[in-house]
Amino acid sequence: MMTVYLKGGGLLREYLQPDVDEYTRRVEVAEGRTLRQILEAIGIRPVHVAMAFVGNRLVNLAYVPSDGETITLRPPVQGG
Amino acid sequence: MLKGFGGRQLRINLSTGEIRTSPLDPTFARKWLGGRGFVAKILYDEVPRNADPFGPENRLVVTPGVFSGNFGPSGSKCSFGAVSPLSNGEGDSTVGGHFGPELKFAGYDLIVFQGISPKPVYLFIDDDRVELRDASAYWGQGTMETEAALKRDLGEDFEIAAVGPAAENRVVFACIGHDYGRQAGRCGVGAVMGGKRLKAIAVRGTRSTPLHDLPTLKELTLRIIKRTAQHPNMAPWQKYGTAMFVGWSNEHGVYPTHNFQTTYFDRYAGIDGGPLVERILVTNKACFGCWMNCGKYSKVQIEGKDTVYVEGPEYETGSLCGGNCGFDQIEQVAYVNWLCDTVGIDTMTGGNIIAFAMECYEKGLITREQLEGHELRWGNLEDVEHFIRMVVERRGIGEYFARGYQAAAAYIGGGAERYTCQVKGQGMSGYDGRGAPAMLLAYMTADIGAHHNRAWTITMDEDLGKDVIRGKAKVVVHLQHIRPLFDTISSCRLFWGEIDVTDQEHIDAIKLMTGWDDFTLEEAMRLSERIWNLNRAHFLERNGGPGRKFDYPNARFYEEAVPSGPAKGARLTLADLDVMLDEYYAARGWGLDGNPSREVLEDLGLEDVATNLERAGLLGQLSAPLPPVRGEKYKPKAF
Repeated sequence: MMTVYLKGGGLLREYLQPDVDEYTRRVEVAEGRTLRQILEAIGIRPVHVAMAFVGNRLVNLAYVPSDGETITLRPPVQGG
Repeated sequence: MLKGFGGRQLRINLSTGEIRTSPLDPTFARKWLGGRGFVAKILYDEVPRNADPFGPENRLVVTPGVFSGNFGPSGSKCSFGAVSPLSNGEGDSTVGGHFGPELKFAGYDLIVFQGISPKPVYLFIDDDRVELRDASAYWGQGTMETEAALKRDLGEDFEIAAVGPAAENRVVFACIGHDYGRQAGRCGVGAVMGGKRLKAIAVRGTRSTPLHDLPTLKELTLRIIKRTAQHPNMAPWQKYGTAMFVGWSNEHGVYPTHNFQTTYFDRYAGIDGGPLVERILVTNKACFGCWMNCGKYSKVQIEGKDTVYVEGPEYETGSLCGGNCGFDQIEQVAYVNWLCDTVGIDTMTGGNIIAFAMECYEKGLITREQLEGHELRWGNLEDVEHFIRMVVERRGIGEYFARGYQAAAAYIGGGAERYTCQVKGQGMSGYDGRGAPAMLLAYMTADIGAHHNRAWTITMDEDLGKDVIRGKAKVVVHLQHIRPLFDTISSCRLFWGEIDVTDQEHIDAIKLMTGWDDFTLEEAMRLSERIWNLNRAHFLERNGGPGRKFDYPNARFYEEAVPSGPAKGARLTLADLDVMLDEYYAARGWGLDGNPSREVLEDLGLEDVATNLERAGLLGQLSAPLPPVRGEKYKPKAF
């Protein structure tokens, strides 16, 4: 198992249920899981994530996080 | 003394040249707040029901609201309103940038134009000095060219709102441009302005707006700035703006492609936010008082074309002038964006109209001969540029597209109406509703026609089920009250939707600006519902009833299944649409004919409107008791 931190605001925050700080949730996951699998495991539909970042680097939902990594999630714009 | 407002209004008769300045009535300000509220009330009270949108009796209303120019959580917006030549009902559209704040600094909360000028003019405002000036030298110029010329002639510190050739020629989806690439784009407000031969408004203001409690307002706003600077949405928002959502929209099967024939564009990768940032972005751009700076200022270089600069493309342009027209390179989309901005047409209805014409050409309903020897192929820039110029100059078949969907479809024949992706004459925003029924309902019922800014429901549709019809109408009603509220107070909705500036913080800011200590969120929401009902009544009084008959999209959206992509097979029927409309009218307390009931109108303080509707035989009859709370707050976890 490893720890991944998921960070998100806006509407996404209501789904994420942050427990570390106002925006961040700590998730324990098996190694090798994709971001999509992690989101689905905690009940977040992919539609609620438009973008994901590791630092400044844009990643997609097939990204496999490393232990201790923080992924910032960006919800859709709610009407651009 | 009225706090938070400039305190004055201007009444300008363009036919006679008369200019009148008067104080803003504090009771009127409290009841309608500004922006879209002022627009709705003035148009309802002053425009005769049989008046032509292009006639002298129509009004052009220009109004920043209470937030504009004040030190609150964003205050950049300004509303432009008129009876719309697209819908023949109330029309309003907002623009960010710096124009609204500058009007407030000159001390004005409202400008109402009526009449038609005998020659091209622009309105010059320099604090108390207000003049109609000859605009012959600027007539024919593009919006950005006019802005640059007026700044050169008057001074860089003037803020300019201007129309282009499309508005001068009364193209019904013409917009008003400001700040080199921002637009009051929807409802054809630019067409009304151009039809009045009003080329531009130039304003410089040097006053301070009186505020009730500036120290506490500063404290509140600085606290919000500090908090939201750390918001996880802030950095990606600043980097990509709205353009990044092309990929997301495509992935979820709502991206309009080839005139909404399908909802997935397989070549989207070249027009997403990534290519925008990597290939054409020059710098970010912000509106007045904004720390998000989500605007993207881009440089477009295409072989054989002049190098041009454009603000954008935003998501809506990236969809409706992107995959919807078959363009797969960001430079092409940005060039079409620039062209629309320059001639002064809304990229949304404009993108829709171009795609509509493309599909007609694809199906053989429009010939090469009618296009002056040109073609109109998906993704062909030369074809599109030529077609836009035909429409703007009203040449040949362009004349009919310049008049809007109905005229074009009637002229083309052959069932072309099926391909007009619109409601009430307003081209659909960049989301297909077949895989998102509540989004389609939001388009169907929006007061100004198919526009996403009134309500946006794509994630809710996914949460509740993309094929679920029932149980969504109340949420649509609620969203139709909260989202347009930001256009009433002239605050940018994105602060609320994207970085969690709360609705209560907006209300607190209004109280600190105005001193209205008893002002509440409930009062604001009731105002929004009052505006919605007033606009509906206005629409019915102008167009007849029952209202229901106007609330359907073109047949594509209830007769054709999505043929490809993630939403493949998604299909709604006319019966589905009727179920949604029944629920929607019930949630509003309207009759099943889609007409507002006396009970609702009286509850909202619109007794006179109920009487007017009754006299016209347009009052809805309630078949069930009035819902105690109309609409329902969107609480996603509750579903």
